Amino acid sequence: MADQSDVWLVVPVYNEAQVIADVVRNALQTFPNIVCVDDGSRDGSADAIRGTGAHLVQHPVNLGQGAAIQTGVEYARARPGAEYFVTFDADGQHQVADVVRMLERLRAEPVDIIVGTRFKGDASHIPLIKRVVLRTVVAISPRLRKLKLSDAHNGLRVFNKKVADELRITLNGMGHASQIVDMISQRGWRVTEEQVEILYTEYSMSKGQSLINGVNILFDSALKTGSRR
Amino acid sequence: MLIQFLLIAAVIVLLVFFLKNHGTTKTAAGVKIGFLLFLVLAVVAVVRPVEVSKVAEFVGVGRGTDLLLYALVVAFGFQTINTYLRFKELELRYARLARAIALRNAEAPEPADAPAVVERAEDPAHTA
Repeated sequence: MADQSDVWLVVPVYNEAQVIADVVRNALQTFPNIVCVDDGSRDGSADAIRGTGAHLVQHPVNLGQGAAIQTGVEYARARPGAEYFVTFDADGQHQVADVVRMLERLRAEPVDIIVGTRFKGDASHIPLIKRVVLRTVVAISPRLRKLKLSDAHNGLRVFNKKVADELRITLNGMGHASQIVDMISQRGWRVTEEQVEILYTEYSMSKGQSLINGVNILFDSALKTGSRR
Repeated sequence: MLIQFLLIAAVIVLLVFFLKNHGTTKTAAGVKIGFLLFLVLAVVAVVRPVEVSKVAEFVGVGRGTDLLLYALVVAFGFQTINTYLRFKELELRYARLARAIALRNAEAPEPADAPAVVERAEDPAHTA
């Protein structure tokens, strides 16, 4: 297996005490560098992380997933030797094997960022309503079509130092996925996507963002004025 | 009717103006001037309600009161957008502050065989 010491996993954590230690330990077997950003959890997630061997950055208050990712990336990009960055969900729905494959591509191909997609192969394991909504988002977004991205709200992304240095997420909440897509198109990052498997366990389903939250995402994205500064 | 055109135009102009120029010194000055004008008009409306009615008639609303109500609706919308944008901006500053604190207090993992001391990572907060 390739040496992964130039890779940093950024894991935003919010109230995941039940599963976070297992997820982190499992990922640590492949990736020595993991930073967990505890986004003001109240369930002891931070203590669960402390014993695992991952770096821990704690938001003093809850800010939202977008803010947690930005914090984690800022921490990781300041570490010596950090070249590749991965955003990885804390609830165990992402697969380490997918990350390894994406990193191989990122090292070999002339791209800056690789986004995971659930829709390249067989998508029948995704809950139907989720599939319909995610497809609709893509269908109504000209930007996604232009970039040939089929799944903008996938939390699994792999990118290089250039992207990490330029990343500036200002939408603290869940709107950050669309904001990353905007940055890809505005800053001209070379993007491609990779089929990944998302494990829809009962746990991750109960934690996953509700579809009604899509309204909030759309609204935040439409009135995104803070991003200029 | 003229009033419909005026009201809709006012809403659109305010929206575009705010989304484009929010937070600049010019806008802040514009808001203050707007507020002064508003106060002057309020005094005029109180002292000479007949004049307001004339204006109302001119733009196609029956009474001066109705004109005031319409203007109030626009002003309220304006206020709502303003507050929303201000909150967003504060939220962003607050996030940056919290981030700086979080990065300053980052905990690197303890070496497996070392005694349990919380290790403070070097300060990466100056990165952005």
